[in-house]
Amino acid sequence: MLDIVGSRRSFLQVGSLALGGMTLPGLLRLRQAGAQSSAGRKKSVILIWQAGGPSHIDMYDLKPDAPAEVRGEFKPIDTNVAGIRIGEHLPRQAKIMDKLAILRSATHTNAGHGMGAQWMLTGYQPTIEVNDNIYPSCGSVAAKMNGPNEPGLPAYVNLPRSLNLGKAAYLGASFNPIAPDNDPNTDGFQVRNLKLPGKVPADRLSRRKELLDSLDTVRRDIDTKGDLIGLDTFYRDALEMVTDPKAQRAFDINKEPIKLRDTYGRNDLGQSCLLARRLVEAGVTYITVQAGGGWDTHGDNFKQLKTNLLPKFDQAVTALVNDLFDRGLQNDVLVMAMGEFGRTPKINGGAGRDHWPGAMSVLYAGGGLKMGQAIGTTNALAEYPTSKPASPGCVLSTMYHVLGIDHKHVFFDDAKRPMPILAEGEPVKELIG
Amino acid sequence: MPFPLAAIRFVLALIWLGLCLSPVEAGLSSAFAKIELNDGFAGSQIIVSSNNRDCTREATYLSDNPAVASVDTTGYVMAIGNGSTIVRVAHPDGKLEIRVKVAGVGAGGRSVDFRTEVVPLLSKLGCNAGGCHGKASGQNGFKLSLFGFDSDFDYAAIVREARGRRVFAASPDHSLFLLKGAGRVPHGGGKRLNPNSADYQVIRQWIVAGAPASAPDTPVVRKLRVTPSDHSLKRDSQQQIAVLAEYSDGSIRDVTRQSEFVSNLDVVASVDSTGLVKSHQLSGEAAIMTRHMGHVAVFRAMVPHGEPLTAIPEFKPINYVDELAVAKWKKLGLRPSPSVDDVTFLRRITVDVCGRLPTPAEVRAFIADSATDKRTKLVDRLLDSPDYPAYFALRWGSILRNSNLAGADQAAYAFHGWIKDNIARNRPYDEFVRGIIAAAGEWQDAPAINWYWQNRDDQLHQITADVAQIFLGVRLQCAKCHHHPYERWGQADYYGLAGFFTRLGRKSFGQPPPYFASPTVQSGERDPLTGKSPEPKYPDGDSPKFTSEDDPRHGLVDWMVKPENPFFARALVNRLWGHFLGRGLFQEVDDQRDTNPPSNPELLDALAKEFVAKKFDVKHMIRTIVTSRVYQLSSTPSEHNKDDRQNFARYYARRMPAEVFLDAVNQATSSKAGFSGVGTNGRAVDLPHEGFGSYFLDTFDRPKRVTVCECERSSGATLSQVLLLANSDEIENKIGAADGRVSKLVAEKKSIAESIEELYLSAFSRQPTDAEKNKTTAFVDQQANKQQALEDVLWALLNSKEFMFNR
Repeated sequence: MLDIVGSRRSFLQVGSLALGGMTLPGLLRLRQAGAQSSAGRKKSVILIWQAGGPSHIDMYDLKPDAPAEVRGEFKPIDTNVAGIRIGEHLPRQAKIMDKLAILRSATHTNAGHGMGAQWMLTGYQPTIEVNDNIYPSCGSVAAKMNGPNEPGLPAYVNLPRSLNLGKAAYLGASFNPIAPDNDPNTDGFQVRNLKLPGKVPADRLSRRKELLDSLDTVRRDIDTKGDLIGLDTFYRDALEMVTDPKAQRAFDINKEPIKLRDTYGRNDLGQSCLLARRLVEAGVTYITVQAGGGWDTHGDNFKQLKTNLLPKFDQAVTALVNDLFDRGLQNDVLVMAMGEFGRTPKINGGAGRDHWPGAMSVLYAGGGLKMGQAIGTTNALAEYPTSKPASPGCVLSTMYHVLGIDHKHVFFDDAKRPMPILAEGEPVKELIG
Repeated sequence: MPFPLAAIRFVLALIWLGLCLSPVEAGLSSAFAKIELNDGFAGSQIIVSSNNRDCTREATYLSDNPAVASVDTTGYVMAIGNGSTIVRVAHPDGKLEIRVKVAGVGAGGRSVDFRTEVVPLLSKLGCNAGGCHGKASGQNGFKLSLFGFDSDFDYAAIVREARGRRVFAASPDHSLFLLKGAGRVPHGGGKRLNPNSADYQVIRQWIVAGAPASAPDTPVVRKLRVTPSDHSLKRDSQQQIAVLAEYSDGSIRDVTRQSEFVSNLDVVASVDSTGLVKSHQLSGEAAIMTRHMGHVAVFRAMVPHGEPLTAIPEFKPINYVDELAVAKWKKLGLRPSPSVDDVTFLRRITVDVCGRLPTPAEVRAFIADSATDKRTKLVDRLLDSPDYPAYFALRWGSILRNSNLAGADQAAYAFHGWIKDNIARNRPYDEFVRGIIAAAGEWQDAPAINWYWQNRDDQLHQITADVAQIFLGVRLQCAKCHHHPYERWGQADYYGLAGFFTRLGRKSFGQPPPYFASPTVQSGERDPLTGKSPEPKYPDGDSPKFTSEDDPRHGLVDWMVKPENPFFARALVNRLWGHFLGRGLFQEVDDQRDTNPPSNPELLDALAKEFVAKKFDVKHMIRTIVTSRVYQLSSTPSEHNKDDRQNFARYYARRMPAEVFLDAVNQATSSKAGFSGVGTNGRAVDLPHEGFGSYFLDTFDRPKRVTVCECERSSGATLSQVLLLANSDEIENKIGAADGRVSKLVAEKKSIAESIEELYLSAFSRQPTDAEKNKTTAFVDQQANKQQALEDVLWALLNSKEFMFNR
């Protein structure tokens, strides 16, 4: 694990590697590290999405006293916060429990992947299993409400590829995420179409742009929706992003020290988390990170978790949280980890666990929230909350609270119905203090 | 004891005379010569005008006897005591006297009535709105009916629930209802009521009286009316409106101050809580909806673009579409743009009918054709070409959510083919719809069952909502849970429509499995109003009976296709109009309701009538629309119509749909789409379902077939789209392909001029202008590598708005 001095050193190294004289926002923050107040700083969110449904009872809400067919083979371990115990296969997180908060009492009622995921990502329960979200995803809402924290960068990014149900729905495509559609753990990683195509050097692009400007003379007021003007804006932004190194540098994970890259884990999840940290420092407002696949552990749950899923997840989350705290970003950046539901307490015939929305755990870190606590309880079999039940609206409104977004703000959907950002739920009191 | 309500109620609140009979001086007039207020809660809005211009807020008002009736500065009169008096209206244009008679106040008069006085306040104060206690789950354990459409439910909620703590007659101010509303105890909704207000006092008075329920025979609102119903307003002017409720006993009451007002387009005309409508700088039309006790009425504000015109000589109507459009333009003072030139028309119609660009050969031939009827002949040729059914099958495939999900790969191909075949044969639309709604059997014989299969997860509800929205142009889904907030639709209509589908069964094998009409109910869904399986009822109509032999779905289609059906034909002609003109006569194209009035009702009716008369001939309707002069206007706005967004005084340019656009890029660069499973020459518009991976199509918002809404396609530009077009290997490889257009031109040793002309014809479907020739030639001349230079020209054309838009 990195100590503070070490990480500062490595970060300064990044800053100087990046470009002489160029001040990264993170560098600025480092200089202000002594400051107590975080007022006025732009907030951002990194949501680690465990698609498939992570097993709450094997990770954050173990029930060692439950019957064998429920408790499973994992043992709880102590953390660095007295009284909070988590699963033995999250040993790194156990050591930084003071920088984490677990909400054990999240709950909803839909056990379908798509519908559950839409509920958790949008706050609204859809009535039909569909390919794309019907309601705006939280990232699109953040993009619409807050925009990017730094001009010239996108507001909403999906890593490493587009999140299935992470679109803008009726907010309009402008608030859809941009995704690299590439794995940051690969050598040649880059964002799709952000770098100049091989055949087109910068001077050729600028010649083309000049020609385009002289030929593209059709009147801009021939439509009724302002799309021609909007496109002009996007052309300006796009050609700026392509030629000005700011955005490319933000996405250039190779600028990170090798040691830090190793700390996060040399896999898609670890490197996406590291890239997410780079992006929030550069000024992206909202980032989702796909926590690999395979959380849908209908078969061989325990082996999948302990050999594959949890080690990667534990390493990446711990590295990210430590990195953010080391940089003094714990009040500005919220990290969350969750999936669409928990898993059945009762172990099935194939040593697996099935879909269980009745109880699930959500991990929060930073964002200026109160850390070092476990909130809510579930019954003896981890089936349902017995205290502080938190709906998807509660889970998300806590996040909007960090972003300074009024979750009752109303948008109009395509049918012109007034739709508040969230129709129900209030921030979890224990977290917002 | 209060008087029996029905006996003394609202004898006659208002006398409507249209114009004032006896102005004291000429010039000024009022809608009401005389006001009668028949109980202590009655009020009435005076509306004063001069020379057809509203001056209600400019006049001053004085009551001769404020102990009988008060009048405020806005001209609102309230009952104070029994007797008669005169309200004197003064304005620079003249003076008026309005006689006011007040009866039924105080002892002997009726007491506060829950339904008439209290419930409207819940709406006015926002208590029963969808975001608060009106939502399906209520708020903090207190639930009201949405916008007060169910006052019995509201009464129980307020008086009987929460162990009666909400009302407390002995100490009315300590009723939770008032404590919360006045913000004296913590209230999530904040302070809604000032204790000194008349509204607070009305509720308090009702609680003091023991919070009585309305008597069963208390008259209920039957109809709402707005006066005036429409008016033409100059920019930055205003119009007071009054709302009149007609009750079941025939009485009429002014409910202006007990109603809510919402504008559908407040950039054109906005409205405040007193019913004062204000126009702004933008011309156009706005519908001001007013709502009271679950009823709605609409005031239409028209803000003309210029002075009304008696004739528009430069516009020569070709058919009735043009004549009806002109009639509307005259009223609005709107002058259309001139007719579009031939080549732009060729590109426009080819994109709109066939979903592709014209070829350079087609452009050259059309320019060379000197026939006067060449546009009409072109329309016929395109409608008879295979590209028309191909493109419209794509559109219908999206609307009908044809998809390969849930093992339906073959069925999705079959359904796509079925749709295309129906369109190619121009099968009458009523038969097409019957083929879908009443589909039964195995998918090989009845591919349309894939529509049911793709909606299987929530079948009854999804099908009900889709039938209403797709084929009736009515969005009924709101009424599943509550009364439609902007319409007459209630749960009885929703579950009535669902009732036609409860006997649809499906076998337990196959993907999709066979569907069949069962003699018995197959769905476990319950109508919440009856607690039983939903029974068939036509929307806004009666309840047919079916035998166990019948398939009720056929009964539904029989009703839909009747010539007098008010929804079916209008929905389709409006959908077509929206497709070709870029905006429906009502917009969105599937959202037909009184509170979303069509911009040209006469035109909508004429089209619908003709569609019925022509036995649902879709090609005929398309021909009628696209051969009209309205469709053939230039998209370039003029000074006179630059603000027009509703009345088609110019063609509204728009982006091409994702599939059409990908094909256009391929056509311009002479490359192939390269999808597998649709043949080597298969284009994006030929794709049978959404399951063909394509970064291009996804980036340009190909519909995911999630919802039936056509607006799913209308999302705006994105950064990823621009990066893809301007800066991607994908496009670069098309532009510079060894067998691509530029390479071919170079290989054929075409001159620079010829090459540039070919590029313009391929991308813009027109010849370059002299200026464009000069610029591009100079550009190419400056560069050593001619192939690269021509690629750069093609890049610039593909990234031009002229290429991206159909204009």
